[in-house]
Amino acid sequence: MLTIKDLHARVEEKTIIKGLNLEIKPGEVHAIMGPNGAGKSTLGYVLSGRDGYEVEQGEVTFKGANLLEMEVEERAQAGLFLAFQYPVEIPGVSNMEFMKESVNAMRKARGEDELSSAEFLKKAKEACKQVNLPLDFLKRGVNEGFSGGEKKRNEIMQLIMLEPKLAILDESDSGLDVDALQVVANGVNSQRDGERSFIVVTHYQRLLDFIEPDYVHILAQGKIVKSGGPELAKEVEASGYAWLGQADEGEEA
Amino acid sequence: MSQWLAHVIERAAAVDDWLSPVRAEALAKLKEQSWPGRRTEAWRYTSLHAVEDLSLSTESSAQAEAPAIAGLDALDLVFVDGRLTSDLATLDLPEGLAIRSLRDKSDTAEQVFTQVKPSHHLFGLVNDVLATQGIVIDVAPNATIERPIRVVNFATDNVESHTRVLVRLGENAKATVIEHGSGTGHSLNTAFAEYDIADNARLEHYRFALHQGEAIHVGGSHFKLANKSRLNSTLIGYGSQLTRLDVDIIHAGEHAHAKFNNAYLLAPKEHFDLHSTIEHAMPNGTTEENARGIIGDKAKAVFNGRIHIHRDAQKTLAELNNRNLLLSRGAQINTKPELEIYADDVQCAHGATVAEIDEEALYYLLTRGIDKQKALVMLNFGFVQEMVFDMPNEALAEWLQPILKQRFEDMMERS
Repeated sequence: MLTIKDLHARVEEKTIIKGLNLEIKPGEVHAIMGPNGAGKSTLGYVLSGRDGYEVEQGEVTFKGANLLEMEVEERAQAGLFLAFQYPVEIPGVSNMEFMKESVNAMRKARGEDELSSAEFLKKAKEACKQVNLPLDFLKRGVNEGFSGGEKKRNEIMQLIMLEPKLAILDESDSGLDVDALQVVANGVNSQRDGERSFIVVTHYQRLLDFIEPDYVHILAQGKIVKSGGPELAKEVEASGYAWLGQADEGEEA
Repeated sequence: MSQWLAHVIERAAAVDDWLSPVRAEALAKLKEQSWPGRRTEAWRYTSLHAVEDLSLSTESSAQAEAPAIAGLDALDLVFVDGRLTSDLATLDLPEGLAIRSLRDKSDTAEQVFTQVKPSHHLFGLVNDVLATQGIVIDVAPNATIERPIRVVNFATDNVESHTRVLVRLGENAKATVIEHGSGTGHSLNTAFAEYDIADNARLEHYRFALHQGEAIHVGGSHFKLANKSRLNSTLIGYGSQLTRLDVDIIHAGEHAHAKFNNAYLLAPKEHFDLHSTIEHAMPNGTTEENARGIIGDKAKAVFNGRIHIHRDAQKTLAELNNRNLLLSRGAQINTKPELEIYADDVQCAHGATVAEIDEEALYYLLTRGIDKQKALVMLNFGFVQEMVFDMPNEALAEWLQPILKQRFEDMMERS
């Protein structure tokens, strides 16, 4: 599904990712944990193709194609999805028109017919229900006036609607209480079908109680320093990141 | 002197109805006015060349139906080329609402006519002397009128017309009034509306100035707010050969609240000019104004936003924000903030910008697989659509959204 080889990437003048390797097969769930400043969010931005995030070295292959040569929207159309830690508010664009445009762009890329308004609405209703968002949110501006929790649930709703091949969840747990966490996790788990792969980026082990990963990787100073099974997350839970021999570096880039 | 104005003054002398004494005063003021040129501040960026020697018919027998708006269920009053074509006698009016012709003498007309609109608007004075047809809407104290009242104002071709709307909301009254104007032919229409809003009353107001093409449309909506009254107004304007609107919101009582959203979408070569004036004459008032413009190729928009806080208007909170998006290098906006503050304990903010695309929002849409071109259309239009989403009346918002979207897409194509 995804192969990352010796990836180096920088934001402006600062190199954040420094030789990262990762192999993800269809259906696998990989958790990436690490202290603040390790490069967790940067990885998601680099893979999605955000402006200003420059790859210095290395290769990324997504479903056999060179991901780094693709535009942002082409990566999305190829099946890469990023659930944002802090989704942006777009007051003048309704969730409805945004989601419809997005869903149909994906369907078109997959060679499927566009959804009619009625079909779209039916699907959207189901997805809303699944993540516990009121239906009238569709009429509102994208993320406009949403609480932190609602924004996170909206990201998961999009995940459900867009049916990606690989979803990267960037701290989808941050700022959520246990109930909201459960809703987010259930949404994600409902999309695990043995084919779809996930990268779950998180600072804490908490989310991994609900979304059980196949592999856990510890990211520190721009590279993966340790990999293991779910038990590795428990170790982190018990001992923190101090064993990495470095303090948290504050807010992540 | 303009030949057109000379002709207006001539015609005004022949107008004879129960408002004649008031019209005579307006005529005297009109005679003192000189024809605005480039040095006249209020007309600095808007040329009146097209009106100067204009000579159109003042007669029309055209008929038109009010545009249908699904789910609106409005009480429609239709003017075609200045003639009221609706039969007031057959209107099914709810309790607390009276609608009369301006031809008929009424206390409300007497109390409101020329009493809210400032007399410095040249075309307002023209309307004062020539608008014999008009509508007078009277909402009784404590009445809540659920059905929106819509005044439709069509201008056809080769006709000059003048329409007037007078509205009085009694204490604690609640109503929605829509001024819905349109026309594409070579015409001149002046349309002025005055709103006298009593203590604790609430007015929801819309003005759709959808004149296009060769139409010349000059008008205004003017509001006087008494104690604790509330105004929520949305103005949507197209450009045309010449569209000029003046909006005055006068806080004449304390603790009044006004919200005024406006958006203008100018197709190539159109001209649109909006002068808004917020007068805070009394303490504790609040005003929030949002003005958004999208301007197509070789089109020209003028926005003048004045906030005047009088000496006694302590604890006023006034915000005005004007944002513009130019679709090409040939598009033009002249935006001018004017702040006059004579009280010392107020909060006032005024901003005018020419907008750029929000890169973060664009990136977000791209990560959802939306093509860049489409994403830009969504974001650019979203800028104006926000004003539509903010309209309290859902039926109006749902009717307007696709119409504006279509206009915007055509503008993008041609710019």
